[in-house]
Amino acid sequence: MATTPETDAPAHRLSRLYLRRFLRNRLAVTGVALLVLLVLFSVCGGLLTPYTYADTDFTALTRPPDATHWFGTNQGGNDVYASAVHGLRRSLVIAVSVSALTVVVAAVIGTGAAYLGGRIERMTLAVLHFLLVVPSFLILALVSHRLAGDWRVLIVVLTVFGWMSTARVIWSVSTSLRERDYVRAAEFMGVSAPRIVRRHLIPNLGSLLIVHLTLGVVATVLSETALSFLGFGVQTPDVSLGTMLADGAGTVTSAPWLFAFPAGLVVLLTVSMTLIGDGLRDALDPTSVTGAAGGRR
Amino acid sequence: MLRHVTRKAAGWLLMIVVATNATYFLASWFLDPRANFRELRPVRTEEQIDRALAPYHLDPRVPLVHRWWEWLTSVVRHFDWGSSPTGVAVNDEIGHRALVSAELVVIATVLSVLLGVALGVYTASRQYGWADRLSQVVSVLVLNIPTSVAALAVVSVAIWLNQHAGLHFLYVAGENSPNVEGLLPTIGDRLLHLILPTLTLTLMGYVGHHLTQRSLLLDTLHADYVRTARATGLTRARAIRRHALRTALIPTATSVAFSIPALFTGAVITETIFGWNGMGRYFLQTIAKNDVHGTVATAAFAAALTAVGAILADIATVFLDPRVRVS
Amino acid sequence: MTRTTTLPHPAPRPAATTPVLSVRDLRISFPSEAGTVEAVRGVSFDLLPGRTLGIVGESGSGKSATAMGVMGLLPPTADVTGQVLLNGRDLVGLDDKALSAVRGADLGMIFQDPLSALTPIFSVGRQLSDALRVHQSLTKRAAWDRAVELLDLVGIPDPRGRARAFPHEFSGGMRQRVVIALAIANRPSVLIADEPTTALDVTVQAQILDVLRVARRETGAALVLITHDLGVVAGHADDIAVMYAGRTVERAGVAELFDRPVMPYTAGLLAAVPTVDGGERRPLVPIGGEPPALVDPPPGCAFADRCRVAADACRTTDPALRDIPGHGQAACLRAGEIADGTLDPAGPAPDGTPGPVTGPAAPGEVVLRVEDLVKTFPVTRGGVLKRRVGTVHAVNGVSFELRAGETLGLVGESGSGKTTTLLEILRLKRPEGGRIEIAGTEVAGAGAEVQKLRREVQIVLQDPLGALDPRLPVHHLLAEPLQAVGADRAAVRARVPELLRLVGLDPAVSDRFPAALSGGQRQRVGIARALATEPKLLVLDEPLSALDVSVQAGVINLLARLRRELSLATLVVAHDLGVVRHLADRVAVMYLGQLVETGPTEALFADPRHPYTRALLSAVPVPDPVRERARERLVLAGEQPGATRPPEGCVFVDRCPLYRHAGAELRRRCRTERPAPTAVDGAPGHRHACHAA
Repeated sequence: MATTPETDAPAHRLSRLYLRRFLRNRLAVTGVALLVLLVLFSVCGGLLTPYTYADTDFTALTRPPDATHWFGTNQGGNDVYASAVHGLRRSLVIAVSVSALTVVVAAVIGTGAAYLGGRIERMTLAVLHFLLVVPSFLILALVSHRLAGDWRVLIVVLTVFGWMSTARVIWSVSTSLRERDYVRAAEFMGVSAPRIVRRHLIPNLGSLLIVHLTLGVVATVLSETALSFLGFGVQTPDVSLGTMLADGAGTVTSAPWLFAFPAGLVVLLTVSMTLIGDGLRDALDPTSVTGAAGGRR
Repeated sequence: MLRHVTRKAAGWLLMIVVATNATYFLASWFLDPRANFRELRPVRTEEQIDRALAPYHLDPRVPLVHRWWEWLTSVVRHFDWGSSPTGVAVNDEIGHRALVSAELVVIATVLSVLLGVALGVYTASRQYGWADRLSQVVSVLVLNIPTSVAALAVVSVAIWLNQHAGLHFLYVAGENSPNVEGLLPTIGDRLLHLILPTLTLTLMGYVGHHLTQRSLLLDTLHADYVRTARATGLTRARAIRRHALRTALIPTATSVAFSIPALFTGAVITETIFGWNGMGRYFLQTIAKNDVHGTVATAAFAAALTAVGAILADIATVFLDPRVRVS
Repeated sequence: MTRTTTLPHPAPRPAATTPVLSVRDLRISFPSEAGTVEAVRGVSFDLLPGRTLGIVGESGSGKSATAMGVMGLLPPTADVTGQVLLNGRDLVGLDDKALSAVRGADLGMIFQDPLSALTPIFSVGRQLSDALRVHQSLTKRAAWDRAVELLDLVGIPDPRGRARAFPHEFSGGMRQRVVIALAIANRPSVLIADEPTTALDVTVQAQILDVLRVARRETGAALVLITHDLGVVAGHADDIAVMYAGRTVERAGVAELFDRPVMPYTAGLLAAVPTVDGGERRPLVPIGGEPPALVDPPPGCAFADRCRVAADACRTTDPALRDIPGHGQAACLRAGEIADGTLDPAGPAPDGTPGPVTGPAAPGEVVLRVEDLVKTFPVTRGGVLKRRVGTVHAVNGVSFELRAGETLGLVGESGSGKTTTLLEILRLKRPEGGRIEIAGTEVAGAGAEVQKLRREVQIVLQDPLGALDPRLPVHHLLAEPLQAVGADRAAVRARVPELLRLVGLDPAVSDRFPAALSGGQRQRVGIARALATEPKLLVLDEPLSALDVSVQAGVINLLARLRRELSLATLVVAHDLGVVRHLADRVAVMYLGQLVETGPTEALFADPRHPYTRALLSAVPVPDPVRERARERLVLAGEQPGATRPPEGCVFVDRCPLYRHAGAELRRRCRTERPAPTAVDGAPGHRHACHAA
């Protein structure tokens, strides 16, 4: 049969294989379903209530959940449901952007160090290890204290202090990729450097980057909530899941709904991303047992 | 062997020095000590404020390098970490707090390493058993919970237990009770106060060790040399204990050092929630008060904790891996 | 010490003794995602005291699984049935505790890869004394002393001092000696050696096989020697069991089996293996096809699809192992006919039998000229601040030339610098010392010139799976070198099927991924890729070492045909001298970065002059028990030293048997003067670099 396959057909089939393997993983599919629900909630949830996160209802201060205020209200009369919708959206946007930026920065630094080698590589690794052991959270807090308030600044700050561990992984994988026989073979065949990067390095790093993208979201959500909880992240009047946790922390026993709803959303978000990340890791692994397309004759 | 550890320790010392000085410059750029005086009545002029800051080497008119040099020499010569913008000596503030925080972080580190490694070893040798699956689910879940949520969950459970089970020793606020007299009661009281914050921090810290130790041991379980050991007549369990476990523990020793910064971050949040007067809360206060010297001292403390952990890890590596001793 | 030895003849079969180890209908299966893998499907054998049973088979034949099954070291997921009777006691079904009382005490095992077989964090003395103390109540002191004795027995120099050293301080050969010491520590009655020499160089292999013989003599143990190398069993086994697809297909005494194999698979294997000795170089006859998958094996004989004499009944009935009068046992429906000589297992000669392997190639133009090539590597120490503490002279003044239509085999053991030589040629940059000329152009490293030269030089790498990007289908893999030289899509589309047909593959494989191809198919894809740009020079780096014998022969014949048809110049680097003999017109022997002997293949193999070449050739086992045991073997002492500080004079001087017996004047020359290549009288092109030869 197939004499001359279309140039893009095999790649297409490979991605179908990955998809099939991913869909076979029930936990990962659950993660996707959860994430879709959360995103829908953050985008469309606001349409279901007349309130916005900034509105204050002075007739209902610190009310438990009821028919008007589905998640109750806080001490200032803000609708917790509306705040949760907004806070989730804010946290999601921050997490996704930071994670994407982090992966890009880490990929550039990691592959750069591996590619250039020599002294530059050793210096980069020294800096990287230094930043890994230095209590970067303190520096993060210090820097964002002055600059924060604006969530966009927070994105930059979190990226600047968040790329190290991903960069280290990418560095070590790219060094081993460079030594692979098929990369050496391509060099011997006279394939140009950009083409080797495009054809062999990126596809083989790609799965790693995607996995780190999803797991980076988890890490960022956790950092953002921690920072906002301590008052260094998103600032009032803006709302994120972290600030909601901080607001609710004081009244866990007297008004548990103020804390329970944002806490539940954070955990749902991180768990769903972790499940997706693990599923992707398994599905994109070329050494996986089920990896052989077609199988042996 | 001694040379190996000394060389490593020198490296970590250098790390503390660089980290602390870097924090000094960052803090000087990002904190504005004058803010403390602007709110005061009667209103002071900028000049008056700067003059008030001058005795503490915080006067913004003096070039940063000069201020830094003053600060550095006083730290090196007298171990004097400077004063806050309002003239409170940092040394007086941190002495007690450092002890409180060190207690918390050290105990939590030790417990989380012990718990994580033990769980990792136990589950790896019973891979896919029910204990493995259950602890895997729990650990992944805990990994995904923000420290603040975990801490407050612990608080809620403790309050519920206190109310419903009639317990009275789970303290959810403060590091000690007022009006406790005598040495033994004081120690006992402090220990009781330690329970919940330590529990929270341990919970946050053990997960990483559990998951990495499990996969490390799983890798070595299938190593050829474990098979060789079994071929000489060791049972599977003994071959694992003698040959695989020790090899698999070596990378864990190194990773302990890397886990301390995260644990310190957890300590900041835990101290806030449990109302502890430790370095974590002090750090938050110093930043809020634009206290450059206080902030730097906290960073130095955190770096020192990391370095101590790292040096202990290096020593542990030497004991686990005799190859280091010969080369 | 260099010794000249011959191997003992097979022990006469003792009359009716009870076997020490008796395996009955052993079956082992593993669960896998694709289904249950039936790795071993009914293996039976008897091992008599003091005798050696060789188990021969290719990868996937189930020989290692059998060994692990006997030892009780299979993973817990494996399902084992049948009987393993050790001194009459059945080991199958015993729990781990009961088995560990047997392992090490009555059963000792030697593993394939000595580099990973020892625990890295314990000294070898500690590992040995631990092994002793598992089964014997010895004081630490006594165990340590015994460990030192054992190290001495297996030939570790300075055993008292070396006992304190860690595994990483030993070479592979020395580590394998330690593993043997571990296995014999408690004087077991049965030793199982699973491919004990596969990972080692050929001169070290000869040493290890000697150690194994000494160990057996000392302990009186019977040995199960598992290997894929027919030469090793020919020289060392008394009885042989041949395994194929999880079953024993033939069992006989060593002389009978090699003399007249009755199972067509055994016959095919013997016809496919390249050898180093004996008159005419005969063409190799590959066994077509591949072994069947062990998930859902075929109902009939597993070999039927590849068998030249298969009858219809072979595809439906799975023959049991049965006695063949005057031979041994075979599992073949037509074994009777083959045994009494009425049927040739090779089948009717196919049309157009492969011609002579190498015709006297018409000497073409010089495609590659290497003159006085030098390559060194710095030895550095320290992390961030590296400092140079020494220099490795990897290639030290190597010269040769290669003409169109000619094949040069570069042989030597690991560390001899043969791969470095090859990489220096492929780099297409000005070498550190000396000069390289390809197709008349001196390699100087200018950009445009390099691009032009790239077309002319292509490489086939050792591991076909590693050399092919797992994410690309065959079509894209073959398109890559074409696109690199600027071929357009239409040209690529036309060329790919052409290339596949050229290397004997169906063009339909072009949309498969490498993982879906067999080992032989992958290496053919690798060769096709190298030929895509129609190079003048093809470089092959250990092209066959990852392949099984039955598949190897096909690739060897393919390479011979390609060279004839395309008049390629090929440079082959290989450690397997048999393979080189069948591939190369001329051979160059390397030792420690230098060429010690070059010459036409037949002349060099028939009349080696340099003492190293002689030792190398004599170390290669011949798959013929009569010749293997009759010939004199030269076992070199020691191992090739590192090239950090090569001797001033001859590089081989430290291990040279001639030097040992040389007079004072000659010794002085060997020590101080680097021998120049000298022509051998009456043999044009045969040169050696030795003062004493």
